[in-house]
Amino acid sequence: MPAPNPDWVKALKPSGPQGSELLEQERARSDLNVDQLATFLFTDEVLNRRAKILEILQSDPVFDKSQNYFRGRTERLEAALGRAKALRQLSVKHQWSEEEYYAANELISEPTPYGLHDAMFLKTLKEQGTPQQHELFLKRAEKYEIIGCYAQTELGHGSNVRGLETTATWNPEDKTFTLHSPHLTASKWWIGSLGKAANHAVVVAQLILNGKSFGPHPFIVQIRDFKTHEALPDIHVGDIGPKFGYNTMDNGFLLFNHVKVPHVNLLSRFSGVDPNTGKYLRPANPALIYGTLTFIRSSIVLQSGSVLARGVTIATRYCAVRRQFQDHDAEDGKGENQVLNYTMVQHRILPLLAASYALHFTGRAMFDIYNANQKRMSQQRLTKDTNRGAGPEELNPSSDLLADLHAISCALKAFASTTAAEGLEVCRRACGGHGYSAFSGIGTWYADYLPTVTWEGDNYMLTQQVSRYLLKAARAVLSGKAPDNSISQVLKEYIRRQDIGAAFDILENDEDLVHAFAWRVAYLTFEALKHRDEEKRPWNDLLIDFWRLSTAYSQYLVVKYFYEALQSEQTKASLDANTLALIRKLFQLFALHHLQSHASEFFTSGATTVRQIQLARTKRTLALLHEVRPHAVRLVDSWKFPDWQLDSSLGRYDGKVYEDMFHRASQENLLNDVVIDPYPDSPVLFRKGPKPKL
Amino acid sequence: MAQNSWVDQLKPSLPDGPSTLAHERGGSSIDVDAFAQHVLGGEYLQRQQQVLEILQKEKVFSKEKQANLSRPERYMLGLARGKRMRQLQDKHGWSDDDHEMAKYLVDEISPFQLQNTMFRQTLREQTDEAQRAYWLRRCEDWDIVGAYAQTELGHGSNVQGVETTATWDQSTKEFVIHSPTLTASKWWNGTLGKTANHAVVIAQLMLPDPSAPTTGKTRFKSFGPHPFIVQVRDMKSHLPLEGVVVGDIGAKFGYDSMDNAYMLMNQVSALLARYSAVDPETGAYRAPENRAVVYGSLTHARKRIVMAARLMLARAVTVAIRYCAVRRQFKSKDNPGAEHESSVLDYTTVQIRLFPLLATGFALHYSGKVMGEVYDRTRSAVEEEGNLSNLIDLHSLSSGLKSLSTELATSGIETARRAMGGHGFGGETGLIGLSRDYLSKPTVEGDNWMITQQMARYLLKKAKLIVSQPGLKPSNRTESTLAQYWQINCDKKLPRTSRPLDVLNSDSDIVAAFEHRSSFLTFQAYEASEVHGKGYDKLMIRLHDLSNAQSEAILVYNFYDQLSADTKLPFSTKQVIWKLFRLFALFTMSKHSRDFERSGAVPKRDLDALADDHLVDIMASIRPHAVSIVDSWKFPDYLLNR
Repeated sequence: MPAPNPDWVKALKPSGPQGSELLEQERARSDLNVDQLATFLFTDEVLNRRAKILEILQSDPVFDKSQNYFRGRTERLEAALGRAKALRQLSVKHQWSEEEYYAANELISEPTPYGLHDAMFLKTLKEQGTPQQHELFLKRAEKYEIIGCYAQTELGHGSNVRGLETTATWNPEDKTFTLHSPHLTASKWWIGSLGKAANHAVVVAQLILNGKSFGPHPFIVQIRDFKTHEALPDIHVGDIGPKFGYNTMDNGFLLFNHVKVPHVNLLSRFSGVDPNTGKYLRPANPALIYGTLTFIRSSIVLQSGSVLARGVTIATRYCAVRRQFQDHDAEDGKGENQVLNYTMVQHRILPLLAASYALHFTGRAMFDIYNANQKRMSQQRLTKDTNRGAGPEELNPSSDLLADLHAISCALKAFASTTAAEGLEVCRRACGGHGYSAFSGIGTWYADYLPTVTWEGDNYMLTQQVSRYLLKAARAVLSGKAPDNSISQVLKEYIRRQDIGAAFDILENDEDLVHAFAWRVAYLTFEALKHRDEEKRPWNDLLIDFWRLSTAYSQYLVVKYFYEALQSEQTKASLDANTLALIRKLFQLFALHHLQSHASEFFTSGATTVRQIQLARTKRTLALLHEVRPHAVRLVDSWKFPDWQLDSSLGRYDGKVYEDMFHRASQENLLNDVVIDPYPDSPVLFRKGPKPKL
Repeated sequence: MAQNSWVDQLKPSLPDGPSTLAHERGGSSIDVDAFAQHVLGGEYLQRQQQVLEILQKEKVFSKEKQANLSRPERYMLGLARGKRMRQLQDKHGWSDDDHEMAKYLVDEISPFQLQNTMFRQTLREQTDEAQRAYWLRRCEDWDIVGAYAQTELGHGSNVQGVETTATWDQSTKEFVIHSPTLTASKWWNGTLGKTANHAVVIAQLMLPDPSAPTTGKTRFKSFGPHPFIVQVRDMKSHLPLEGVVVGDIGAKFGYDSMDNAYMLMNQVSALLARYSAVDPETGAYRAPENRAVVYGSLTHARKRIVMAARLMLARAVTVAIRYCAVRRQFKSKDNPGAEHESSVLDYTTVQIRLFPLLATGFALHYSGKVMGEVYDRTRSAVEEEGNLSNLIDLHSLSSGLKSLSTELATSGIETARRAMGGHGFGGETGLIGLSRDYLSKPTVEGDNWMITQQMARYLLKKAKLIVSQPGLKPSNRTESTLAQYWQINCDKKLPRTSRPLDVLNSDSDIVAAFEHRSSFLTFQAYEASEVHGKGYDKLMIRLHDLSNAQSEAILVYNFYDQLSADTKLPFSTKQVIWKLFRLFALFTMSKHSRDFERSGAVPKRDLDALADDHLVDIMASIRPHAVSIVDSWKFPDYLLNR
């Protein structure tokens, strides 16, 4: 480590006013009850649990974060593996529940090489394995004797699962399957935990019986030796190299050269092969398989609020500490202005602050629907199987909660993850030049979050599924066969008022604001339906319309859920009147912000007039920014991110931004151990300090 | 690494990448070489070829493993490359342009960057003659290695606010540099962290206050930030000098090969660049004579930023378009019987992300080119006749253009990366380093949200001029456009154009619509500020939007003018570029359709048609040429492959 700073450096302070004073002032000028709001957002139970776990993690040197930003790829992976192991041990020692284990992972805030074992591998074994397979594989996996991953995506195929090229061919003579990779593009690719950590994989491959393909199915395959951890014969496996982020994860590739596995390795709770006849056993209810995917998408929606809130917390605190230039209209002699006072900065950060809350409430509503559906499905399972042959988007949309849930989760996954990812970059830039430093704490976080917008359904791809659902709902409404679910009501209401007009009071009435978003969805849905059904336009030509439609639908849902959360009795009982009023302003800010960014759709559909949009922009939004501004720091405080989790100089709770930046740069930076030779003609590079080999 | 022979024999499933791309290229009538000549010029292409050949022979410039290196390793590699680059310059007698090309191809910021740029430039431009002779020679001989230290931990955009002081010592007739606070620490300064032994340090010039009583302790007064030459490390040991605490600021989002610095100074002696500014006998300040107008060189710098933005964006689009042509996923919904899955590039949701960016690269190109030409043309006019109007006009407009172009490029690079789906996240795209290094651009050299205010204020000034002096003869395009608008719309009824515009069928009407919209927004802002007296802070967001609207108009009219003036392009190639023009302009229009409608430039029915079919149709007509168009940028694989 570099030598300590000389005494005269240690004695230096930032020029006044100090960051800590500025944040104190910020907190003093707002009366928002942070603890009350935090309890409402998370519950005391969750907050206490987090505090308890934080203490355990902070006291263990393996979780020390000080070198995170400096390490190279290999060192990062090694550190992450050490943390994954320690976390597993702690989990056993303290008998952590699943929630507690995830809370610990969240505090550590980086993917670990056990990530896919914990999430996808165990879940797939549990949900798709038979009791016999649970006995054989799941038990050992839960003890971490078997360490696994979920190998679906290939070099040549991602979204289109049906197009996977890896084959699993049934051999009736010895009752085995042969797994094989016929092309280079058949290589499994991107598979988390596969590159280095796993000794088993759930491999999704085309099931071939008697020369005929029955589509992709999951097989459990051992890929590395239990003792040596080297790849087994005819298996080629490794790490795919550096990525934009996620560099603590060993995403892997995997190729098979005619590898045999026994019959029992086909996970066959839902479908399988009769070992005696070689006949295919059809799935009873394929929709059940979609349950996992819906769960993952719902989780993405639930997390998106806090993912974004982290960036907003850092940017808001830093912009309150950072001062630059005098205010244009201020008298001479006044000090420099806090950057957060500039409307140009507020205009970028505060709508995102509002969005973090909006997404939080949306995530909750999403899970309520998910749980309701789970409950109903398990009841249904008890009675009888409905034996449907199609995916959920093919089902009758309005009568089936699962179809609603599927469409809502697709729409919201796309919107929420895009909003969070793009919002983080806006936050980083709002921190000005210092946002580019790793110590901002936003860059790595953003880079690690980025794959979310393309995985579990590419955000653009998903919009097609949403639109298909909306078109179906519209057709049902027009033919008079639609049931009374939420989307049908929106569409029917539009038809009913089509000739009366809308005239929503978006500036004064919150409920009307929700109606305006609903109106726009209905308008765009019927427009798209006209293009498709009457004008017979090709599907491909409509994809952009579909993407707009799906975005409009997502925004409507978010606005609606946010509004409903504010109306609920539980909310009213948990929050005092001032807090409630403030959150209501965030609601309005969020809604009006999106209304303005898509202004043309609102006035084209007749949901609002041009004049209303103009007033929203020039008057109402500006007023909201001013009203929210004094509470900004307390509003981000309410997310209760521990400093240890943020790992950010700029976002520190105490405002000691500059002290921390200087400390990290001068005292934790290994490069400062080095003395170099600067002259071009000298072959010497590093004169003193560690000399890496290139 | 272990390898298995069965792995080496595997091939991608058919149709594979090379045959797909060959098919793409066969399906377009574009003359790629003529197009490349048109955009880049023969001299440029030849230089690229020559320099590339030299670099590819040097092992140190191989990019294969660099993405796996840790930070100290990346810096060490950067240092080795910097040294080798310098040797190659001598060996091959490279000109500045050759050197620029080499840096561009190596595609990594060199730890010597500031020695070659700001340090040398300051020594050349801001020193007295005798100083210049001495220091510039030492710099150019590489006796010394220098950096440029302006921004501080506490101050970036506001240069007037830097806290480092340089106080005149009458007894030694020297300046003493000092960091009074922690926030006074120099910060982010490239080349200074580990590499340099000298630096130009920007500090508050503290001289005896002439208005203070002469008896007693001397009272000092700041004469504002000035550049000082300071030695920071020992010439032999390369260790920091006494009283200097300097080092590298650590990990960043990108720029890993550069040693950005922190630096604190405790009473260190320094030399004022241009020492004639202070009388050595009395310590009195002598204000400098007005130097030649600096507009020109700033405009030149911004031209370079715009031209660089164009290449960065085009590069990302090149990678994405080629990959999306090769990548197949799902069979077409409209043609389920197709033999192969559809090329991802056939999806309109992919096209709407990539093709407007493809067009944007060319839009930036033409405006960058015009900026360079105006700069060259008017430099002599400025020196001979002192006619500044056109240059000032361009300069003011270029601040907005710098902002918009870097904004378009950064967001475009990311959009292109995401259009590649999951693989866009991997190191194989070659876009990771590009995206991360380039991400610094929107906040360096004038934060993008700050400098748009300059552009908008310039427009407001022009509006004021036109309202107050109705008969004024316009001296440049901005003035005449605004004057024309005001002539028709000074009655403040519903805004309108002089004649109805048909943007769906007339390219010149598209240009008129953009200029009309920008004028409309200018007068709206003028009205809010001058007539209704709105505070500046309340107007900032609107002024930002105004600046972007004007920049978009500039991009559109330069694109139109330049393409109209061309006489060399083959007919069918030119037709395709016209399509790119339409796509860029109409896509931008569609994004801001509300502006165009309420300014009376374009009727709602045309805007609806744009959103419904028109853009999709244009994209469909560009689709067969997409791969050939990106080929025309002639990016060598060495550059893309990083």
